[in-house]
Amino acid sequence: MATMTLTPTAVTAPVRTPRPRVLAAVATLAARRLALSVRTPRELVVPLLTPVLFALVIAPALRDAFGATHNGVDYMSFVALATVGLLIPLNTQFAGLGVIVDRLGGAQRELLAAPIPRALLVLGNVVVVTGITALQLTVLIVLAALRGAQFHFTASGMAWFVGAALLFTIGMYGIAEALASRMARQEEYISATPAVAIVPWFFAGTLFPISVLPAFLDAFAKVLPLTHALAVVRYGLLGAPASGLHDIWGSGDPARMAVYSLGVVALFAVVGLGLAVRTFTRKAVH
Amino acid sequence: MRSTHEDPDPSVSTAAIQVQSLRKTYPGGVEAVKDISFDVAPGEVFGLLGPNGAGKSTTIGVLTTTVRPTTGAARVAGYDVVAQPLEARAASSVVFQDQVLDLTLSGQRNIDIHALLWGAPRGAADRAHEMASLLGIDGILARPVATYSGGQRRRLEIARALVSRPRVLFLDEPTVGLDPRIRAELIDAIAGLRAADGMTILLTTHYLDEAERLCDRVAIMHEGRIVTMEAPVTLLGSLGHEVIELRVPGDGQRALSVLRAQRIADEQAFAVGGTLTIPMRNGDAPRAVAAIRELGIGATAISTRPPSLDDVYLRLTGDRIALAA
Repeated sequence: MATMTLTPTAVTAPVRTPRPRVLAAVATLAARRLALSVRTPRELVVPLLTPVLFALVIAPALRDAFGATHNGVDYMSFVALATVGLLIPLNTQFAGLGVIVDRLGGAQRELLAAPIPRALLVLGNVVVVTGITALQLTVLIVLAALRGAQFHFTASGMAWFVGAALLFTIGMYGIAEALASRMARQEEYISATPAVAIVPWFFAGTLFPISVLPAFLDAFAKVLPLTHALAVVRYGLLGAPASGLHDIWGSGDPARMAVYSLGVVALFAVVGLGLAVRTFTRKAVH
Repeated sequence: MRSTHEDPDPSVSTAAIQVQSLRKTYPGGVEAVKDISFDVAPGEVFGLLGPNGAGKSTTIGVLTTTVRPTTGAARVAGYDVVAQPLEARAASSVVFQDQVLDLTLSGQRNIDIHALLWGAPRGAADRAHEMASLLGIDGILARPVATYSGGQRRRLEIARALVSRPRVLFLDEPTVGLDPRIRAELIDAIAGLRAADGMTILLTTHYLDEAERLCDRVAIMHEGRIVTMEAPVTLLGSLGHEVIELRVPGDGQRALSVLRAQRIADEQAFAVGGTLTIPMRNGDAPRAVAAIRELGIGATAISTRPPSLDDVYLRLTGDRIALAA
């Protein structure tokens, strides 16, 4: 863009104008998003339904039908944690709809005119979707445990679980917001949901270890961030034998392999968030 | 982001709004704004007039940093909108042409969010109450915006924009789509704001009475260019104190030539289709009307009335704002 220098012309000395601090701005944006979300409870409940049904109905049924599996790990627990990989993508995709609603409803224009970096609009959404996802994951894990899933709740295990779930949520929301920024209509966005949120789930070692997949699908599974996120989540709450980390990285120290997989998920979070910010800020200015 | 702000370039101490050689070409080649320049003084109410597609909203988009200029420069409160967008946005508020509210939240919540995002100083709550009271919506702020009428929503948007005490207020077609009674009330309210706060206001509209009532100066835009820029009274004065409007069958240019030859019409007279508009400067409209009737040019209707900005626009562009809009 060619710009030019204005001729100094006169008159009023510009006055300093107040602007909000970054944290205050993010808190305001997050509070707004939360207030909008809680007014549409189905946004909170619908993404939870399928994973909960999987964890409470399908997982026990599979266990009862086929018995224990892989390295003696309880199959119900194995599948119950796999539903984390369904819940997070579904929830983040639903949350991305808010961006389209803001844009089509017009409210986004007011936010774009605010004296804050536009990347904060994305961050405000991330804060809320992360909080809501945490709540949903808690419900899911508690219900699964009550139904009979055998999780090992230790401090270090919870740290692995929370770290992987948090980073995967950020990455998936980044993808969702980038899609929402690029797509003109809700119908178009909704039609992309199965490909983004559900298809990877079938290849990521959810219902079976990726080692039983054909070689080309096994290779595909290993590059999916979801495969790594689930492996770390299982490493945290089920232990190394059930994690699937060996199927990804081969033999080695489980903790080291978990760090590698967590690194992959962290990279995914950075790329997803960066993509969301870049897409949103570019689309915001014509 | 810091809580304090970069000062504008001290060598460029400016008007409240400064636009210089601004052009905007959208992807696909549509030239929305073609080399426009204007300054708005602090405390001035400045109107951009023109039909839809004239480039008014694109100009506001540049000034509110949601449209990137192709070439040229613009400053708001002394801040360059490209180099210092946050400062420019902090100094201004905007009421968009389309409704821009969170409908499921209360009016008060909408105002609070604006105040927080603009870093409004202490006392914003009092200010919000004051603005809501001034605009007659203080009794409904607790209700969800979805329950508001169109006029109430527009008032809420204006009240919200004022909470942060902007030095520059952009009003993009603030009364479009409202019924005549609410529109008249809103114009009164905006006029009251100007009197009370003395802020700089840039108003876009295609309602000419609105511009006449509110604006110190207006720039008439046509196809991305400013075709004239004056005080409304000056623009109206260019057409005298009264105009004769007559309709003739077919092309009005031939009839206009006859009237000019008879010195009934001067160079300020114009014809659009079969409608002729003839400014009267010396108070002899009745005699001119009689002379026109005697000419036998086949006028099917003839009337006199005060000139309007629509006449100015019509003379300059050959098109009526209201029809084009």
